[in-house]
Amino acid sequence: MGSNNRRDDRVAEVAQSLRETASRAEQIEHAANRLAESGTAQAATAEQIRASLEGLAASIDETATASEQMAHAHGAAASTARDVVIGIEGIASGLQELSASVAGMRKEGELLARGSDATATTLEELARSVKGTSGSAAELTESADRLVAAASETSSSVADVALRGQETAATIEEVASTIEEMSTSTSRLASDAKQIGERVTSIAAGFKGVTGALDMVASDMTESASAVEETSATAEELARSFRSVSELTGALRDSAASSASSLTEVAASVEEVATTAEKNAAVVESNAAAIEQVARSAQSVAQSAQEVSTLASASASAATQLESSTRRIVTVVEGTRATSERVAGSARTSGQTVDRTIKGLSRIREAMAQGAAVMKDMGKRAEEIGDIVQAINLIADRTNLLSLNASIEAARAGEHGRGFAVIAEEVRALADRAAASAMDVAKIIRGLQAVARDAIAANGEGLRLADEGAQLSEEARSGLQTILQGVETLDTSIRNISTATEEQVRAVQTVAGSTARLEQESRAIARASTEQTQATQSLARAGGEMRTMAKQTRDATGEQARALRELVRANAQLASSTERVSRATEEQVTSATQLARAAVQMRTSTQRTVTSVSDQLRGVTGMASDVQDIASGTQRMVTAIAEQARGASEIARAMEGARKHAVQNARAVTEQARASKEIEAGTRDIARLSAEVTQATAAQTVALTGLAKEADDARRIAKQTARVVGEQAEALAAVAATSSRQTASMQGLARGAAEQAASTEQVSQAMRDVRTRVREISLALVAQAKTSHATASDVAIVAREIGGLRIAHVEQAELVTSIAHGPEGSPPPGSRT
Amino acid sequence: MGLHVAFRIDKAEYVVPTEQVLYLESYEAATHIPGAPPYVAGIVQARGRLVPVVDVRHRFGLPPIEHSIDRRVVVVQVGTRVAGLLVDSAREVLQIDAAAFEKPPEVIEQQSAGFVKGVAAIAKRLFLLVDVPRVIGEELSHG
Repeated sequence: MGSNNRRDDRVAEVAQSLRETASRAEQIEHAANRLAESGTAQAATAEQIRASLEGLAASIDETATASEQMAHAHGAAASTARDVVIGIEGIASGLQELSASVAGMRKEGELLARGSDATATTLEELARSVKGTSGSAAELTESADRLVAAASETSSSVADVALRGQETAATIEEVASTIEEMSTSTSRLASDAKQIGERVTSIAAGFKGVTGALDMVASDMTESASAVEETSATAEELARSFRSVSELTGALRDSAASSASSLTEVAASVEEVATTAEKNAAVVESNAAAIEQVARSAQSVAQSAQEVSTLASASASAATQLESSTRRIVTVVEGTRATSERVAGSARTSGQTVDRTIKGLSRIREAMAQGAAVMKDMGKRAEEIGDIVQAINLIADRTNLLSLNASIEAARAGEHGRGFAVIAEEVRALADRAAASAMDVAKIIRGLQAVARDAIAANGEGLRLADEGAQLSEEARSGLQTILQGVETLDTSIRNISTATEEQVRAVQTVAGSTARLEQESRAIARASTEQTQATQSLARAGGEMRTMAKQTRDATGEQARALRELVRANAQLASSTERVSRATEEQVTSATQLARAAVQMRTSTQRTVTSVSDQLRGVTGMASDVQDIASGTQRMVTAIAEQARGASEIARAMEGARKHAVQNARAVTEQARASKEIEAGTRDIARLSAEVTQATAAQTVALTGLAKEADDARRIAKQTARVVGEQAEALAAVAATSSRQTASMQGLARGAAEQAASTEQVSQAMRDVRTRVREISLALVAQAKTSHATASDVAIVAREIGGLRIAHVEQAELVTSIAHGPEGSPPPGSRT
Repeated sequence: MGLHVAFRIDKAEYVVPTEQVLYLESYEAATHIPGAPPYVAGIVQARGRLVPVVDVRHRFGLPPIEHSIDRRVVVVQVGTRVAGLLVDSAREVLQIDAAAFEKPPEVIEQQSAGFVKGVAAIAKRLFLLVDVPRVIGEELSHG
């Protein structure tokens, strides 16, 4: 069957596409691993940011403390303010501005707190969604494990099928060889029967010859009988003449002499008859032997016919079995086709799901691109903040210089300058702290820039991975397309198989019918052969009796001859004693009368001989007709056996074809088993990779949980900072109230403070921008989380489809197993599940 | 009184009594004076007057450093002579009683070429009292 080979090719193609799919899944796994690594790096960076934020909070704390101290100093300065005369109203107003700006800063701080609050909440949501993803991954691993178990079972059952198919092939081979032997033996039988027919024909011809010879013998005997009749009449005449010549002695002598010569002739004739009878006996003997041979050969023919009948019966039952098993194959093939249609449906649904996955990946890609733009913007803002910090640093340096010179002036002023010196000292300390904080801020900004750079790099990697994922999904889609095509081709092949199998059923039915006819015919032949044997045996018996009869005839004829020879001798003695006869004529008459009596007796016996020879002739003729019957019967038998041989050859040819199919079947099933093994190995790899994915996702979950906790801490610290800044603002308000009458020299300081306030305002402006960017990032993160969720649900659908595919695979494997077992007639092993 | 201006050269801290200090200035650059001694960085304009600047690092035999925002000029007056001391940084005034200063150990005295008059230890910090006339030197009286 050509469709078998085609199906093999299709199966190989399907196995190939499965292997490709497995390797692609491995690539996807690698990409996911890389993605997990970059996620870990991001988590580490977030940790660094958090640490920097903590440092910032600490320095803000310190600033608050210093502010309090400054407030105290301002309290002391109030007592000496009267001495410093022309108040420090400029400074006061500057301080008020500072206070207002600090109040603004407090507001900003609160906004920052709220923003970090929102960030923490978003992070917690992200952690929850990652946990959900982890659960989905665990389910995926579980289903992959189940798939592995099913594939392993399928593989073992297919191996079982292969084994059984091979056994079936071996059995069919045996049956085929048996049928071939039968065919050859039938051919031999046919030739033997033909030889027998020829021999019987030659025997019939021989019989015709025998009949002719016997006819001749009969006519000879009739002639001899008439001669004996004549002899008898002559003897009677002789007796009469003896009686008349009793007186005439002289005449008697001549008469005696002629009588002697006549006797000699008779004796010769009888001798001839004896010889002929002898020949007759020999012919009958050989005839009987030939008949016995015929009987023996007819017996062997009957035996052979019996054997042929038995073989034909076995062949008929085998053909019937073959027919029913082929019918079962037809139904099984029908089931296979239905299953392959279901597989095609599942593959189509998977293709739709893969399309949805590709869409989700492109959405992720958009969100990532948005995140990258936001990160870049953030880096630019950080640079701006660095510039502002530099300006603050410069102002702080100037303030320090101013306060030092104020201290020197105060010292020079002596007792009057004491309070002023204290204030100058405090201002210097504040400026130093501001410089230190600016340094810290610069450090933090540098760290932030590094983090932003890392984040941009990680985002680029993520973008690339998303592209790769999209490409891989595309490849998976094309792989599914290939599978779909393969399934359709498989469907066509199965339709071809089904058609071929139906043809096979019809052919097998024909074989079964002809085998049944053959069986009947061979049975009739066996019966006829048996009858023939019986007839031949009775013929042989008749031949034996004929032989006995011929022997008796021969013996009788021999005795006749001997008696005649004695008669001739006696006649010779008669001739020689004619002299003495003439002397005792009376005695002679008496003896002549005796002679006449003897002649009459001789005639009677000759007549008996003729009768017996005629009987013999009749028997031989009947035998010849019997032999003719045998010859025609044998001819009929030869014809029947030849037909039988032809039928056996056809069966042998059919069996050879069946054997070839079985071998092909076994080979196909073996290849199927190998492909199943490979599928099993591929599925095992998938399961292992899925387990690794689950592990990585769990680790991600842990990292995200830690991150959420840290964000919570940051939120708390930010709140504390806001509170501290609030207190600081209050302290500064008090300072502003008490320092309303400070000197004009402080106005420069106030101007510096105003500049500082402006710078701080810039800082807070920058901080607002940063906050806006952070909000945008969190929005992008939310979008990302939503997309991830959609992707996870798509992955769940894919898992369900894979489960459906697996079930369809199992059913297919069962059907394939039952196909492989069909010809053996055993129940399909799938019925044990 | 006992108020001192503290400054830093390399890793050591030095003090000058405020009585000898007029004021402090930030330092950007000095105009070089041809023929001046090598430890004179040049002259600067401060509060409307021209002040010769002594590079104290050079005077103390230390290698030059790169310019930084921390570098300052301490403008001192000895008698009628006004001069600037270019120092690595000067960000502090502090109260040190005269009694707190001790005679420097011999090793320091030898190495500092007589620029250090005394040493005061305050809260684990060591302050070296600079002999201002010596640091600005007779060379400036010529100039």
